[in-house]
Amino acid sequence: MSVFAAMLLGLAMGAVFGMALEKGRVCEAGVIVCQMQMSRHTMLKMFLTAVATGLIVLAVMVGFGLAKLSPKPTLFAADIIGGAILGIGIVVAGACPGTVLAQIGTGYKDAIFTFVGGLFGALAFTYAEPGLLKPILTAGSYGRLTLDQLLGVPFPPLALAFAALIIGFLVWLEKVSPWRGEIGPNADGVPTSDPVVTNAAAVAG
Amino acid sequence: MFSLTTRAWSPYAAGVVIGLLQIPAFYFLGTALGTSSSYVTISANIASFFDPSIAAIKYAANHMGGAKNWWQVALIGGIVLGAFISSRLSGTARWGASPFWAQAMGAHTPAQRYLMAFTGGFIMVFGARIADGCTSGHGVSGIAQLAIGSFVAVTAMFGAGIITANLIYKRV
Repeated sequence: MSVFAAMLLGLAMGAVFGMALEKGRVCEAGVIVCQMQMSRHTMLKMFLTAVATGLIVLAVMVGFGLAKLSPKPTLFAADIIGGAILGIGIVVAGACPGTVLAQIGTGYKDAIFTFVGGLFGALAFTYAEPGLLKPILTAGSYGRLTLDQLLGVPFPPLALAFAALIIGFLVWLEKVSPWRGEIGPNADGVPTSDPVVTNAAAVAG
Repeated sequence: MFSLTTRAWSPYAAGVVIGLLQIPAFYFLGTALGTSSSYVTISANIASFFDPSIAAIKYAANHMGGAKNWWQVALIGGIVLGAFISSRLSGTARWGASPFWAQAMGAHTPAQRYLMAFTGGFIMVFGARIADGCTSGHGVSGIAQLAIGSFVAVTAMFGAGIITANLIYKRV
C-alpha cells in the first residue's frame, strides 16, 4: 500500500476512532483518572469491550485465514518498567497517548501541552534508546510469546473463550455499577461540575 | 444507539466500534491498532530539521518513513478530527481544562495544570516507548492477540496508575 493510500485510510479510521473515544467519554480526564481511582468504571468497560470485540474479530479472521497476528515480543523488564511509567504518566496527564488527541479535538487546551510533552518524551526515548536503555529493554526477552502457544491450543477457540469470560465480567460490572450513573451531569466523568455543590453535599452528607 | 448528536454512547457501543477497527488494520495493513509509535515518527521527523544525524539512530530511522508509520500519524490526526466533529454535533465541546482537576487537586492556576499536562505527557509516552505500546497497542490490540507481554504491560500500567491516582489526588 502506498504511503498516501495508507494515510487516507488512517485518517478515515482515526475519525471513527476519535468519534468512539468522544462518544464513549474516555476523552475526559475525569473518566480516566476516576477509573484509576477505581471509583467509576467507564474506561474499563469500554476498554474491555474493545478487547472482547477484537478477540472475536481476530478469532474469525485468523480462523478463515484473513489475518496474520502480529503480537508484540515479550520483554518482561521493558513491559513492567515501561508499563508502570506509562500508568503514572496517564494519571498525571489525565490522558492516554490516544485519548489525548480526542481531548484536543473536543477543545481542551491542556491536552495540547500533554501532546507536546509526549513528542518530547518520544524524542528523549529515541536519543536514549541505543545506549542507556538497551540493557533494560532486552532483559527477560521471550520473543513473540502468546497465551495460545503457551497452552498449546489454537488461537480462535481460546480467543472466543476469553472474549466470553470478559463479556460475563462486563455483564456483572454493569449490574453493580450502571454506566449512565457514572458519566456525570456534564458527561465529563465528574459527579457534579460545580465543586461548591460537591463540598456542600459532602458537608450535608 | 449510534446517533452522532447524543452526548454519550454506552461504553459498550463505543468499545465495539473501536474493536471493529481491527478489521481494516489487520486486513489492509497487517498491523494492529496503536497510537504511541506515531509520536516517534512525528518528533524524529521534526528533530531531523535541527539534527540530521538523528536518522542515523536505528530506532528513529525505523519510525521515520513507510506506509505503516505514516498510517498511524494520519490515524492520530483522524482522532482529533473525529472527536472535534463528534463534540460539536452533541454540544460537548470543551475549553481550558476539565473541571475535574479543581476537584482532584484543589485550587491551582492554569499554568500549573499546563505544566502538569506537559510532564504527564512526557512520562506517558516515554513509558509507552519503553514498553513498546500504550493503552491501544498493548491494551486493546495486544490482549486481543493474547500476547503475554501485553498482559504484563497492561497489568503494570493499571497497577502503577491505580497507586498513583489514589496517592496524588483527592478521591473524586
